[in-house]
Amino acid sequence: MRIGSGEGFWGPIVWAILALGIAALGFAVWLQGRRTYKRGTEQEEPFLSGEKLPPGAPGIGGTHLYWGFTEALKPFLSRLAAFHTGFVGDYVGWLIVILVVAIMVVILT
Amino acid sequence: MVHAPILAIAVPLLGAFAAPLLAKLDKRARDAWVLAAGLAVAVFGIAVAVKVLGTGTPWVYTLGAPSPGAAVTQGGFPIRIVLVVDALGAFMGIVAILAGAVGLLYGLHYLREEEGKTLGLSLLLLLWAGILGLVYTGDLFNFFVFLEITSIAACALIGYRVWESRPPEAAFKTMTMYTLGGLLVLVAVGLLYGEHGALNIAYLSKLITGSAVERLALGLLLGGLLMKAGAVPAHMWAPDAYGEAPAMATVVLVANTQASIYAIMRVVFTLFGGALARPGIGWLIASLGTVTVIVAVLMALIQRHLGRLIAYGAVSQIGYMLLAVGVAAVARGGFGEVALRGGIFHMINDAASVGLLFLVAGAIRRAVGSVDLMGLGGLGRSLRWESGFFLLGALALAGIPPLNGFASKFLIYESAFRASPILSAIAVLASILLLAVVVRAFHGTFLGPEPKEAPPSPKGMLVAMGVLALLILVLGLFPGFFLGRLVGPAAKALLAGRAAYLAAVLGG
Repeated sequence: MRIGSGEGFWGPIVWAILALGIAALGFAVWLQGRRTYKRGTEQEEPFLSGEKLPPGAPGIGGTHLYWGFTEALKPFLSRLAAFHTGFVGDYVGWLIVILVVAIMVVILT
Repeated sequence: MVHAPILAIAVPLLGAFAAPLLAKLDKRARDAWVLAAGLAVAVFGIAVAVKVLGTGTPWVYTLGAPSPGAAVTQGGFPIRIVLVVDALGAFMGIVAILAGAVGLLYGLHYLREEEGKTLGLSLLLLLWAGILGLVYTGDLFNFFVFLEITSIAACALIGYRVWESRPPEAAFKTMTMYTLGGLLVLVAVGLLYGEHGALNIAYLSKLITGSAVERLALGLLLGGLLMKAGAVPAHMWAPDAYGEAPAMATVVLVANTQASIYAIMRVVFTLFGGALARPGIGWLIASLGTVTVIVAVLMALIQRHLGRLIAYGAVSQIGYMLLAVGVAAVARGGFGEVALRGGIFHMINDAASVGLLFLVAGAIRRAVGSVDLMGLGGLGRSLRWESGFFLLGALALAGIPPLNGFASKFLIYESAFRASPILSAIAVLASILLLAVVVRAFHGTFLGPEPKEAPPSPKGMLVAMGVLALLILVLGLFPGFFLGRLVGPAAKALLAGRAAYLAAVLGG
């Protein structure tokens, strides 16, 4: 069941079979490893650079994931967020902008 | 089944208005009635699609004639209202039926009586009827009427939770934008009527020569419809609306937004596809689509509200569809057809993946009362099915192979690259960022410590989510089947089938 784009093709069944094969290979490698894991010991504690976490300390929440992405893009993202004012008058203003652009393109082309 | 096209619109309308009356008698009778109406709509919609795709010619249903097959024209002038369903209309009907049926099934178990379940179900049926009318009509004024029906029903659903502060505000904003967009469409219809004295899409399409008035009408139509589709920078109403609407409504709102993309395609390729088939219009749509993709994904990255996060993800997918439509309008054939196939295929993929994510978000809200990522976590332990469904929908949305989102994005990337490598590169980059967004959402919701145990979702809600999850897998593993039988004919009908559309309506 392949689909073609004229330049290339995509065969999901072949991909799925290959992915399953690679997963099986990974599982086989994993089975060869040393069985040193002990349930209910300190091995199950989260390791944060060797720091001892006090009981009840907050974990790393979902909002902290990809912190690097958001931190690097902060200057741009803060401007983008400010552009989303939540004020309906601005929404109407942007509708007028898109309308003017559309009319100009249609008339000039 | 000779009346299937009109029954697919009339049955949900009747269902919507009769449901409150039946609810006065017995709540179970109302539920049975709503289910029966939903089943009937599905049967009629599928019958329309089977006939149109089987014969390969548009189905013209004439209203107000001695028989529905009677000629639309008298002396060459169209005098009757028509429904015209070509392969694209049939495909859109299937998407609407899928979203509506899943939304109804979910809504029957999701809505609570004390919160106005009857009203919610009625509005959902009304929205469904409006979408089906919009994609089946062959008349420009009726197109406006159905657009308004969808707007009114959608805004009422967005503001459904009147006891909270944000939903009525979101409904007000959306209503303001929809009203202005509707007015733009109405003025455009008025201009075309004033110029040619007709409202029939096929007839108008034959007469359009590219005059200044016609160009103004096209600009107004594009402005109104791009806003309703959620194109940046007129997209800001969409996260407000999707984020606050009840989950069963959001899945149908996604189909409603896609109906606006359908309308853009019908306007650009059929109504103005003769004299005003200009690449500049395609570049406008493709550029707006690309900006929509990247802006929406970046905004999704900084959301804390799960509903708004998914909503921005949904807006980004609209960008992919606009990019595909724009590329198709630039090329019109060759890689343009590949783009259109990708864009049309992405509609059903988007309905399945985004719809599933919204349904899971609704289940979470129902279980723990909040969708704020700062307060969620660990729900994978108590909401096992939901976490699996969310992961599947999220990976499909991000376009991870072999799921359905990848198949359609693959066609869009490759064809957009032929038009402009920059557009394609931005689209790919946005998909990578989208993966970051959904991983963050999954981690924040389902992994980590669990603040409190969540009760499981009712079985009916799980079945509705399961249907979409199954569809994601089937569409992803067997894309060739759907591209060959549903998507390919729809793309061909739009690009090469304009003459057949006109001939089916006007004769000759």
